[in-house]
Amino acid sequence: MSRSIKKGPYVDLKLFDKVAEQNGAGTRNPIKTWSRACTIVPEFVGHTFLVHNGRVHTKVYVTEDMVGHRLGEFSPTRTFRGHSKKEAS
Amino acid sequence: MPRILGVDIPNDKRIEIALTYIFGVGRTTSRKVIVDLSLNPDTRAKDLTDEEVARIATHLEEVYVVEGALRRQTMANINRLKEIGCYRGLRHRRGLPVRGQRTRSNARSRKGPRKTVANKKILKK
Repeated sequence: MSRSIKKGPYVDLKLFDKVAEQNGAGTRNPIKTWSRACTIVPEFVGHTFLVHNGRVHTKVYVTEDMVGHRLGEFSPTRTFRGHSKKEAS
Repeated sequence: MPRILGVDIPNDKRIEIALTYIFGVGRTTSRKVIVDLSLNPDTRAKDLTDEEVARIATHLEEVYVVEGALRRQTMANINRLKEIGCYRGLRHRRGLPVRGQRTRSNARSRKGPRKTVANKKILKK
């Protein structure tokens, strides 16, 4: 079920403040974050985030198309490298 | 047999049903179209006059996204997901279910026919 419109998008305030600070200063330093559930708002475009996936922080460069998605969608939490090959007999 | 928007040749069913042969038109849209153009829903598709067919076609193109345009729109949406590299895009790329369904079993619509892996356990004596 999607989120109620009444509440508006969920944006991590601490993260938003950090982005606003960078926008004010004109810097584009990567921001480390654990807030995977945070919705990407237009202010984030052009910034790089280091989104935690439970193990490492993956680099996510936010483009215009990503607005409305959540940060976690770009930082996969599972690694699947394929099934083991058949053993040689 | 009348042709509406190029390829579609609905047969001699009631137009309410015949219109649903167009990609992007279901029962709801079909009914709306008939009401909007104040047609008789009981006429058979073959009994439509050329003028009526033309009106239906222009109305469909103007108000709704159907056929090629709709297919293109859908593909564009999927390609957008693939390009931005989000989770849903990755699932589309791999041909796996996109909305969090289980893949341990089932998921055959997305994965296609079963690719059986030979049993690797060889009985030791």
